[in-house]
Amino acid sequence: MGSERFEQRAVISGVGQSAIDRVVPRSGFQLTLDAVMAAIADAGLGVDDIDGLAMFPGGGAANLPGYANGNLYEVHDALGITTTWRQGQVEGMSLPFYAASQAVATGQARHVVVWRTVKEGSAARLAGGRPAYGSTHPEAEGPLAWLLPVGALSPVCQVAPYATRYMYEYGVTREQLAWIPVTQRLHASLNPDAVYRDPLTVDDYLGSRMISWPICLYDCDVPADGSTAIVISAVETAHDLRSPVRIEAMAGVIDGRPSWEQWEDMGRVGYATAAAMWARTDLTPQDVDVAQLYDGFTIEAVWWLEAMGFCGTGEAGAFVEGGARIALDGQLPLNTWGGQLSGGRLHAGFGHTAEAVRQLRGEAGERQVVGAEVAAVTNVGGIEAGAALLTRW
Amino acid sequence: MDASIGIPPAVTDETEQFWTNAAQGRLVIEHCLACGAESFPPRGMCRKCRGRSMSAVEVAGRGRVYSFTVNYQRWLPDLEVPYTIVLVEFPDHPGVRVIGRLRDGDPQRAAIGLEVEVGFEPGPGGFAIPSFAAVEGAG
Ligand SMILES: [Zn+2]
Repeated sequence: MGSERFEQRAVISGVGQSAIDRVVPRSGFQLTLDAVMAAIADAGLGVDDIDGLAMFPGGGAANLPGYANGNLYEVHDALGITTTWRQGQVEGMSLPFYAASQAVATGQARHVVVWRTVKEGSAARLAGGRPAYGSTHPEAEGPLAWLLPVGALSPVCQVAPYATRYMYEYGVTREQLAWIPVTQRLHASLNPDAVYRDPLTVDDYLGSRMISWPICLYDCDVPADGSTAIVISAVETAHDLRSPVRIEAMAGVIDGRPSWEQWEDMGRVGYATAAAMWARTDLTPQDVDVAQLYDGFTIEAVWWLEAMGFCGTGEAGAFVEGGARIALDGQLPLNTWGGQLSGGRLHAGFGHTAEAVRQLRGEAGERQVVGAEVAAVTNVGGIEAGAALLTRW
Repeated sequence: MDASIGIPPAVTDETEQFWTNAAQGRLVIEHCLACGAESFPPRGMCRKCRGRSMSAVEVAGRGRVYSFTVNYQRWLPDLEVPYTIVLVEFPDHPGVRVIGRLRDGDPQRAAIGLEVEVGFEPGPGGFAIPSFAAVEGAG
């Protein structure tokens, strides 16, 4: 199946990030430029090599304060380049590098920079807490029109009923799920860029305040300020690149009702995507050395563990219990940068992709997984899902 | 508990009938005149046969809680917490699920499978929002 897979005609050539913290006292636009310039340099390219730009989200999507920052044309203007391909994504992006890979695989561009900038940490500080979804608009529109008026004012309340149902159906407990944030915090302690690096225990988790049952404070990702940029290049330019990473396979499928409250079973959200992705490779879950699985909430990482086939349906609680399997030296090191739960809500799979690239290059510092050759990356935003395998060059 | 603090819905051509009926205490969904299937939320198209002739029918019978959450976080100033949000399905209307509050909510009362009556309460912007009540003796 090798040669016809378009994603193998693309590589991830660079990753770059701005300062990341709860609050970074610079504009989202400056953070974006920091990340873009860092990613281009990381790829071994110059700014004038870039001929494609993409950002998430594109114009018009600002349901959460601090969620959307900047404007593609202003970045274009600041860089002073000529482009042959541009894209702003409003709805889910499946994966940060999904559309850009198609662009370079089909010759529409050679080197695309895609970025995601968040100022949700500053916005939360201004709001005196994590603000309500939709609070940037006077009325709730689209799918939110059914959710916000009844008090489902945050993605927390929107995902929580599915966590309740999952725990009910499979007998999974909060004592088991605690090991995901606890283990990821241990990983974050080895990542100088992570937002929270102090130790976290299972008792801390169980004693933390409830946000929307059964989701507690430590099940929620950390609103942050920061920007991540990724460079995607055509594979034939590899000789110009410092340290490219291969895209072995990727897919993004929606096979349920794309409304938070209408999912038949949200625990199934990643299954069709994972199946489509595995159908594009000869590799298997056993071949994965490190997993960066989207963790806007603990429960999302749980569902990805099962959807990707790292454990069976309903078995993730037992899989993560005790933390050994998902530790840096375990069978499936999970979210080695701390994930969004400790590293910061960089969103839409951008932080996860940056970490996968660093692990495959052997550039992950103290948190490096020895011999990492295959990385899994997943993203989920509502029912929008993407999954990929990245491999060492 | 006051459920009126929050963000009101934008009313569209597709949803106007729902909110108008809600104000009169009726929960309506779409019924396909071609095949008889029921759909919610209203889209002006049958999700089964893609027919475009849809009428409104009332859901009057009891529902069952598919799942729930108890929200403790004050997402907006003056929001009264905690309150329970339920996803309710209806044995007489397969495939229809409605999100709402659980009224008079002792949070401990919420449970998967709890039998509930359809109802409404005053919500944001003067809209009547779906608000279910546990059937006495249930749960
Ligand atoms: Zn029909």
